[in-house]
Amino acid sequence: MRQKALTTVYKLAKGDPRVLFIGSDLGAGTLQAMQEDIPGQFFMEGISEQHIVGFAAGLAQEGFIPYINTIGTFLTRRSFEQVSIDVGLHRLPVRLLSSGGGMVYAPLGPTHTAVEDFSLMLSVPNMKVFAPADAFEMENLLTALVDDGDPHYVRFGKGGETIVTQDFPTFDLMPKVFGEKSPQVVMFTTGIMLQHCLEARTNLMSQGISTTVLHFPYLNDLSIEHIVSEIRSAQLMICVEEHVPRGGLFTQILHEFASARLSTKNLYHLSLPSAFSHNYGSQVDHLDLNGLTAPKIASHVERLLVINEK
Amino acid sequence: MTTNYVELANKIALDKRSRVLRSMVLDALEGGGRGHLGPALSLLEIVRALYDSVLNHDPTNPLLASRDRFVLSKGHGCLGLFTVLADHGYFSISELQGFCSFESNLGGHPERATLPGIEFSTGALGHGLSVGIGMAMASRLRNEKWRTFVLLGDGELNEGSVWEGAMHASQHQLGALTVIVDFNRMQASGDIDSIVSLAPLAAKWEAFGFEVTEVNGHDIEQLAEVLGNSINPLGKPRAVIAHTVKGKGFASAENSTAWHHKAKITKDEISSLRAEVAVL
Repeated sequence: MRQKALTTVYKLAKGDPRVLFIGSDLGAGTLQAMQEDIPGQFFMEGISEQHIVGFAAGLAQEGFIPYINTIGTFLTRRSFEQVSIDVGLHRLPVRLLSSGGGMVYAPLGPTHTAVEDFSLMLSVPNMKVFAPADAFEMENLLTALVDDGDPHYVRFGKGGETIVTQDFPTFDLMPKVFGEKSPQVVMFTTGIMLQHCLEARTNLMSQGISTTVLHFPYLNDLSIEHIVSEIRSAQLMICVEEHVPRGGLFTQILHEFASARLSTKNLYHLSLPSAFSHNYGSQVDHLDLNGLTAPKIASHVERLLVINEK
Repeated sequence: MTTNYVELANKIALDKRSRVLRSMVLDALEGGGRGHLGPALSLLEIVRALYDSVLNHDPTNPLLASRDRFVLSKGHGCLGLFTVLADHGYFSISELQGFCSFESNLGGHPERATLPGIEFSTGALGHGLSVGIGMAMASRLRNEKWRTFVLLGDGELNEGSVWEGAMHASQHQLGALTVIVDFNRMQASGDIDSIVSLAPLAAKWEAFGFEVTEVNGHDIEQLAEVLGNSINPLGKPRAVIAHTVKGKGFASAENSTAWHHKAKITKDEISSLRAEVAVL
């Protein structure tokens, strides 16, 4: 996904001199072809996220569209004030391309795991927050929104995710529906948890439990009004996200349900805990520990359906 | 022989225009009943020299594409900037009296969205230099001639982000960028040297790859000459260390932490300050 994002930035930059790439010591070879081809649009700066975000804001103020890429925690935690004031307050088209969303960097420990990035970025006025599920959606998103005047935060997965969004070749801000109307179970998800939810859906469908997955690559406005029929018919709804419990997709859902006067009686939540993990291992290890892998999501749903019936 | 800039900054007499501008600062301070007086007065001659003599700018067209960019990174010194902008006609002088009121365009820190002539909203310290570096880079990328000036406070140099920016400005040889340090030697809590010493300040900027010039920050002619010097856009960025006096022009406010910021300013205090400016 990251590779696709960076090559998409290169492609966009080739045809648009406003598009710039800014990295912070991302390692030798990053976008080397772009660096050689259009060096004036490529910046590999030092380890200085605060500076880089301010630098990008200055460029954006003058009409450029800077795409910054570095590890997500450094973009969201280290440079939060620059993101909020230089970018958010001035409503500038700076793109924050966030490597290692969620537990991707689990082996590197809690300094590198972006488990509260949605919460931080959604709290910044004017910031649009995105979590595409695969490289196909990533390319479509970056291409479709190049001229959008607002700041963007885009969460990356680990890379190599199965392409599951091929039926949505044109990116828009609407939720993506995987399944039929009037299902028994509705899953709300975002980012690479879509693949886990779709696998869980296959499992549940094989047991005769009709399930629809709603994917929200755009987290600011869930456009719940477009999926009310799926919501009203469901016996059970569950939000599945790779994020701490508060401030992410579930919080957005609660806000929109409250605004639309929808009941949350049958709404459940699976997420990472509100904790810094002191385990390492892989991203999947952590997803599994917290019930966020497909078999565990499906089992959890089955249990909840039984409990609800009682 | 070493120039004693502190003595020069203390001794220099203010001309009529500087006194009038100070009187306008008092109008805003009185209207708002609060404000950062000391920082506004230390930078007033710097901003005056820029807008009177150095910057290419047009008050009738604040977004003129070819204008030089000026970022007041120490946003709390905005009373000085507001006064000079009003005096140049960016907005009505009468607006100064609405300073900090609910519907005013003039808040306690400058905002681009509300006031013509403000290049970038500032207030949180340590932001302006990196933003200015982005602007200077934009000028280079478009092969344009306009320059970028960023005014930093000396206390602001405590922020690590300033030095991140300084390293990058030097790395890119952004000769069209000029950093000005309002070196009044005081910050909110007291003398700079008693909190975090900046010495040797000129050597620091030189070590970071800047071409450094020191000036008397209240000497209009010297400021105009140094800031207006021709530049090499592909050479070293410039740092102008302007030796200033916090609260310059009002004996009761000079070098006073009490006048760094006041939230409740009485009419008696304003009257007393007006009496001082009248006899300068």
